[in-house]
Order: sequence, then structure tokens, then C-alpha cells
Amino acid sequence: MFTSILLQVLINGILSGTMYGIAAIGLSLIFGTMRIVFIAQGTIIILAAYGSYWLFSLMGIDPYVSIIFIVPASLILGIGFYQALFRKVARAGQFPTLLIAFGLMALLENLMFVMFTGNSRAVQTSYASHALTVLGIKISFVRLMAFVMAVAGTGAVTFFLKKTMLGKAVRAASENLEYAMMVGITPHTVNTITFALGMGLAGLAGVATATTYGFDPFSGFVFSLKAMIALAIGGMGSVVGGLLGGILLGVVESYAAFFLTGGWADVVSYVVFLLVLMFRPEGLFSRDMSAKL
Amino acid sequence: MTGRRLLPPIIIIAACCAVPFVFDPEKSYLIYFLFMASIYVTLAESWNIVAGYTGQVSLGHHAFFGLGGYVVAIAWSRGLIGYLSPIGIVMAGVAASVLAILIGIPLLSKLRGDYFALGTLGLGEILRLVTIQGGAFTGGPMGILLPASSFGTIRPHYFIALFLALLAIAVSLYMAKSYVGLALVSIRDDEAAAEANGINVLKFKVLSFAVAAFLAGMSGALLANYVFTVDPQGFYGLNWTLYPVLICVLGGAGTITGPIIGGLLLTAVFEIARYFLPEIHPIFSGLFIILAIIFLPHGLMGLRIRGGGKAKGGAR
Repeated sequence: MFTSILLQVLINGILSGTMYGIAAIGLSLIFGTMRIVFIAQGTIIILAAYGSYWLFSLMGIDPYVSIIFIVPASLILGIGFYQALFRKVARAGQFPTLLIAFGLMALLENLMFVMFTGNSRAVQTSYASHALTVLGIKISFVRLMAFVMAVAGTGAVTFFLKKTMLGKAVRAASENLEYAMMVGITPHTVNTITFALGMGLAGLAGVATATTYGFDPFSGFVFSLKAMIALAIGGMGSVVGGLLGGILLGVVESYAAFFLTGGWADVVSYVVFLLVLMFRPEGLFSRDMSAKL
Repeated sequence: MTGRRLLPPIIIIAACCAVPFVFDPEKSYLIYFLFMASIYVTLAESWNIVAGYTGQVSLGHHAFFGLGGYVVAIAWSRGLIGYLSPIGIVMAGVAASVLAILIGIPLLSKLRGDYFALGTLGLGEILRLVTIQGGAFTGGPMGILLPASSFGTIRPHYFIALFLALLAIAVSLYMAKSYVGLALVSIRDDEAAAEANGINVLKFKVLSFAVAAFLAGMSGALLANYVFTVDPQGFYGLNWTLYPVLICVLGGAGTITGPIIGGLLLTAVFEIARYFLPEIHPIFSGLFIILAIIFLPHGLMGLRIRGGGKAKGGAR
């Protein structure tokens, strides 16, 4: 009996962890090419979640169908953000870019607060509480879909980076910008693509959030922090690492919430974050270390 | 420093001290305005010591501010200190400093740049969550209500805030002119070179972090004596990091006058926005940070220096 509860907690952790993972991949891409810690990532996710919520409640569009609007819109938003906010300061060092992202987060949070009020929202679909039972373990349908979306998103990004010309250019630029420029890769193009990709993933994560959790304008910040923790655990090396880091974080939180209480789970995850930062900083943003030396 | 250069600050300080006697503290808006501006200037100058001079961008200033508020609230609600107790305010500063030293040694010895910023951000979150979970000791999510009946006039708050702002400016001035300040700036500009020249990098980083925390903690303690409600959202809110950062960025980080100008300007903008556009004024803080970074990368002070053509030392 107890084992099956532990297994249930594990499954829940994996399913919620994929949400952190998908946010972490976006952060990892943006940090990889531009060395920007895009702390507004979570707030963009919430913005996309609101998009999905309004499409559902005003026009009756199913959240999973809304992906075809939300993701392209997020891609365009990403291009806009890079061109308007980061293009000028992209090479000015990390301090200004971190502050711009910080400012963007505050701006969007409060804008959403004024426009959509601070009430917590959730998309109430007919299948929202539907659960599958596999071997005595309950799996929430919407969370399973979130997991599928995260895996599909990770797969798509990996395919893009490994198999397409543009994707290879992004990887080349994140490995060594000078050499990439020597073979004719334009940094601004690569940066724009990366930002668009990161925001596209945020859009996907937003839809997944809208269907699985209640959210309000200020829940994005916690999301960003969780994504950073996921990166710290998973390491900066690969896209898959971000996803795995997120899943691991989800499992840690899930068990912390089970053995302690829900409120302490977040404390545990921040303590894990600080410990990883202190004792395994090379796990976090690993490629950056060599770039700095 | 010549007498001529010393004169304007003395006049300004004297004018600030005279304000509560010229205007009626019960009615005058000016006093409240200068009180808030002084708190913001204190926070901005203290953040500036760590970020502007030492180059370690801390995003955990609200942790120290909130801790200061809570030290006063917890001690006061148990009758250990009284209303506006100077011991309480100093104690709050010391507690914040101790936290800064405890967390600063591991964080600052291992982390640089963004990692330090993220670590301090995590610290603020941990404190906020632990306070919410703290049960009867911290009052949980509702916070601690203090006896508001003890409030008489804003006059003592005003003078303490002014004193704290002057203290923060004095500390910054001392740091800028002394060996300590030189060591901090050298760490900011080239850490390896500073270390090679025999500067104990960690010692100076932790020192600047602890001094900044001391000032932030005392600001929090003072505000607790004014608002009488110390709750996690209000005192561990990210605003207490956001505003000092914005003030320094706007005024010019790494200068002494920058945060003063930025603090006054921003308080004015906020108060005007709060009056005319009560709903949307927090939007401006985010927008201002973005615009300031893109168009005024060296702040208003940078503008003056560029315009005057005397790009000498201090301001960068």
C-alpha cells in the first residue's frame, strides 16, 4: 500500500516536473547563445496561459487547439523582444540584460494584473478532472498531456538544432561565437531565432499550465525560479538535460510535499538550488565557465 | 574637500532638518514624501555599495529589508522593545548583517555575476516562505499586527529616515574615498588583478554585503514602526529589491549622487503616478528599468558626466 502511494507521488512529481523542464529548455537556449538570464520566462508562460484561457472562455476554443495560435504568436513575440529590447544591449554584458529581463517581468506582471485582475484563473474543460488508472496508479489526463507536450517540444527543438541548417548555426554560435562569425553566421540572426524558440517553448508551457494549474499574474516569477533550479540540477549541456533537471526537481518537490507539507516543498527546492549553486556551480551553466576564463 | 564644495550639502541637510518645523507634520505631504524618499535613498545607496562599487549584483535586498521589519515586529509584539526603539532598529540592522555574513561567505566565495544574483534571489524567496510557514512565531501569511495606537506624529520617523539616508551616504562617501572603496572598485573592475595585488577579495565582498544589509535592515525596521503591519508580502516583497535597483540604474550605479537624484526622482514619479493613475503605477517601474538601461546605460549621472566632459574616476 505504502509503496503504491510512493509510486503515485513519483508519477505526480514526474508529470509536474516536465513543466519546469520545458521552461528550463527555453532559458537554456537563450543563455547558451546570448548569456542572458531571461528571468521573465515564467511571466511569458503565464501570458501564454492567459492567451489560452481567454481563447477558451471567450471563443470556446479548446486549449489543445489553441496551441496553433499561441505558439506562433509566442515565436513572433520572441522576435519582437529581441529586436526591441536586447539587440542594442546584447553585447553590453550580463548585468544590463538581467535587469532588462527583470524590468520586463515587473512590467508584464503588473500589466496583466491591471488587465486581467489578480484573480486566480484555470481553464475548466470538461475533461479537466479526468484521470486514467494504470496498474492502480491514477494519472491525470491533462498532466499526461502536459508531459506529452513537453516531450514533443523537446523533441522538436532537438530536431531543429541537430538536423536543420539554422539549428546548426544556433549551436555553433552558442559553442563559440567568434568562430561561428568567421564562417558567416550573423549573431543577430542566431539570437533572434533563439529568442523566438525560447518564447515558442514558453507558449507551449503556457498552454500546459493553463490546463493543469490555477495561475495569476504573479505566478510566473516562481516558474522562472523553478526553471533556474531545473537548469542548476540538469546542467546547461543539452536540451534534454534541462528536461531531466525539471523532472528531477518535480520529483524532489513531490516527495517533500508528501513527507513535509506543501508549503515546505518550495523551501526544500530553494535550498536544493542554493546547495547546487554552491557546491556544483559547474553543473549550472557549465559552458559559461570556460567562456569566462 | 574644500569649503565651497561642502556648502551645498550642508544647506540641503539643514533645509531637510527644518522642514518639519516649517510645515505642519500632521498635514504636510512634503514630510511624508521626504520620509519615503529617504528610505528609498538609504536602500539605493546600500544596494549601490554591493552592486555599483563591488560589482556583485544582489537581487536579495528585500531579504534584509524584510528581516529588519520582522526583527522589530517579533521583538515588539513580545514586549522586548517599544515603539521606535533605537535598540530595536540597530538590532534589526545587526541581524541583517549577521545573515549577510552567514550567507555571503558561501555565496560570495563560490558564485560570480549572474549566479550570485540568482543565489540572493533564492535567499529572499526562502526567507519569505519560511516566514509564511513560521506559525505563531512570525504570524504566518497574515503577519504581525503592531499596536498602531502608539503612533503620534511622523516627525521622529522623518528624522530617523533622514539620519539613515545620511548615514548611507556617509558610508558610501567613506568607502569611495578610502582604501576600502579602492579595494571594492578594483574587485569590480578586475577581480583577478585585485587578488594578485594582495586584496582579500572575499573579505571585502562580504564586508560590503554586510554593510549594505545593515542599512537595509534598519530601513525595514523603521518602516515597521510606521506601517504597524509586518506581513510577508509587504516586507519580503520583491519591490524592496526592484526599487533600489531602479533608482541606482536611473541615477547612475557606482556614484554617490546618482542614487540620491534617482531616489528623489523616482519617489516623485511614483507619488504623482499613484495620485493620477492609481491602478497602473507599478507598471511604470518595470518600464523605467527597461528604458533606463537601453537609453541611459550610465544613468542620469552618466549623462551629466558625458555632457560636462569630465569623465573622471568615481562615476562609471
